[in-house]
Amino acid sequence: MTILTMPAQPGQDTGAEPRAVPWQGMLWVTWRQHRGLLISVPATFIVAVIVMLIEGPKIHHDYATLMACRPMASPACQQLSNYFNSTDWHEGNGVHVALLAVPVLLAMFAGPPILARELENGTFRYAWTQGIGRLRWTVAKLTFLGAMVTILAFVISQLFTWFFAPFLTTENMTVLSPSVFDARGVSYAAWTLTAFCMGAFLGMLVRRILPAMVATLGVYLALAAATWFYLRNHYPVSTFWPMQFFEADWLLILSVLLIAGTVWLVRRHAA
Amino acid sequence: MTVLTLPAQPGQNTEPAHLPWQRMVWVTWRQHRSMLIGVTAVLAAVSIFLLIAGLKVHHDYSALINCRPASSDACATKNSSFNNADWTMGNTILILMNLAPVLLGIFTGPAVLARELETGTFRYAWTQGIGRVRWTIAKLTLLAVVITILAWAFSQLFAWFFDPFLGFEGMNDLAKTVFDTRGIDFAAWTLVAFTIGALLGMLIRRIIPAMAATLGVYLGLDLLTWLVLRQDYPVAIDTTNAGLFNGPSTPNSPWILKTWTIGNTPWWRYIPVSRFWPMQLIESGWLLVLAIALGAATVWLVRRRAA
Repeated sequence: MTILTMPAQPGQDTGAEPRAVPWQGMLWVTWRQHRGLLISVPATFIVAVIVMLIEGPKIHHDYATLMACRPMASPACQQLSNYFNSTDWHEGNGVHVALLAVPVLLAMFAGPPILARELENGTFRYAWTQGIGRLRWTVAKLTFLGAMVTILAFVISQLFTWFFAPFLTTENMTVLSPSVFDARGVSYAAWTLTAFCMGAFLGMLVRRILPAMVATLGVYLALAAATWFYLRNHYPVSTFWPMQFFEADWLLILSVLLIAGTVWLVRRHAA
Repeated sequence: MTVLTLPAQPGQNTEPAHLPWQRMVWVTWRQHRSMLIGVTAVLAAVSIFLLIAGLKVHHDYSALINCRPASSDACATKNSSFNNADWTMGNTILILMNLAPVLLGIFTGPAVLARELETGTFRYAWTQGIGRVRWTIAKLTLLAVVITILAWAFSQLFAWFFDPFLGFEGMNDLAKTVFDTRGIDFAAWTLVAFTIGALLGMLIRRIIPAMAATLGVYLGLDLLTWLVLRQDYPVAIDTTNAGLFNGPSTPNSPWILKTWTIGNTPWWRYIPVSRFWPMQLIESGWLLVLAIALGAATVWLVRRRAA
């Protein structure tokens, strides 16, 4: 058999450079590998939205009736007040607590399994030797999942702001009360993103899923406690929106550092 | 090579010898070292924190109640600083303490069986001489006992830590968040969380989904107990004596379940704080029965599964 070859012509694409696998390929890979997460998080989101859309108008109606009730000290108005402060408040508080628990749960259940599972099972040897390369693989995954989680968190916190508004008056809270501040504006989305990035980073650092989950829980709770009881008192600003943006800024910087740390650990890891 | 065999002599015991249960202590330790050490370490660290913080809280509280004259500015300042600093910390820890049983449960329960199933090592573990049923029973019992004892000790320390706040906030120990964290209730809920985790680990056969499912099931059971079951324990008293419910809330105030009127007389259904231990025993009793039933179901599933 005779083989004829021709030298490359100037300007011709010789195909000698390997073409980079397009980023969109990672969309399908992320879906295949994390279907559980990608289904359960939006499902929980939809359930929360439905609950708030059903109970919210009722709570707002009860509150409007209560505020318009005259005379205020009559038994009828007292009864309205008791009802609002027990049944309605229990619902509102329940949704509030559930909402605040979500970043913690995401930190535990979403972050570590993404990378630690590959390391624990040894499948990183397969995943990281695909055409896209381990760095772009990691960055794509973290970005897709982090973006989804953050956007859903932002939307739900806006809905919650509307839902919870009546209770600020009846429960004597302000928008600067720690548990309220955390659940509105941009703070909630920022905390959710940080929780996710923290989980991914600790998963890569600890390299085994269950210890990484425990570590993420501990570190996230410590950071949240430090912020509530200490850091927030030392902000250079003291009104709602400036504080929100200040907090979102440093949380965003922290998240970026955590992602960078995760990528650096992936790069360093011997395969 | 020549092999000589002798027929069995009459009266000779030819049954294969049963492996003794004690061997499973070593196996359980080997396989779950990190879990046991981890749980102990975390509980020890939090206990040290509770000890140090608790001494401060007790000191601040006794300074507060011994402050004379009681309506002076100095005493009011003490009151508000106790409220802002100590009570905020105490309340946060109270909330975390209410979540502690389920957290202990999800990190210990599913890992016991689901890990074997997920990695396939059950094919090795269940074909050992002791047999899969005794292996499972021994493991679950040993881990359950250790975790329950640790949880009980931890809850006693927390009860001491939180005592000043009962007086400060006028709460009695029948309040939901308080009742769950003292006596034997905390240990019982931790045990139930562990067994729910083990059963769901065996059902779902993968660790992370089992952990999430355990969280959901436990929260459902907790809500059910809080909102429904606790009102129906046979310890409540019906009365028309309104004098019991006047006055400010103190740690000795009863828990009012509901009020209604017959004709012109108002009736109250309430539970006095003296019924604390009967309620603890009732709740721990049915939780223990539930835990045993879940453990039995887990063992039955282990038996059934084709391997």
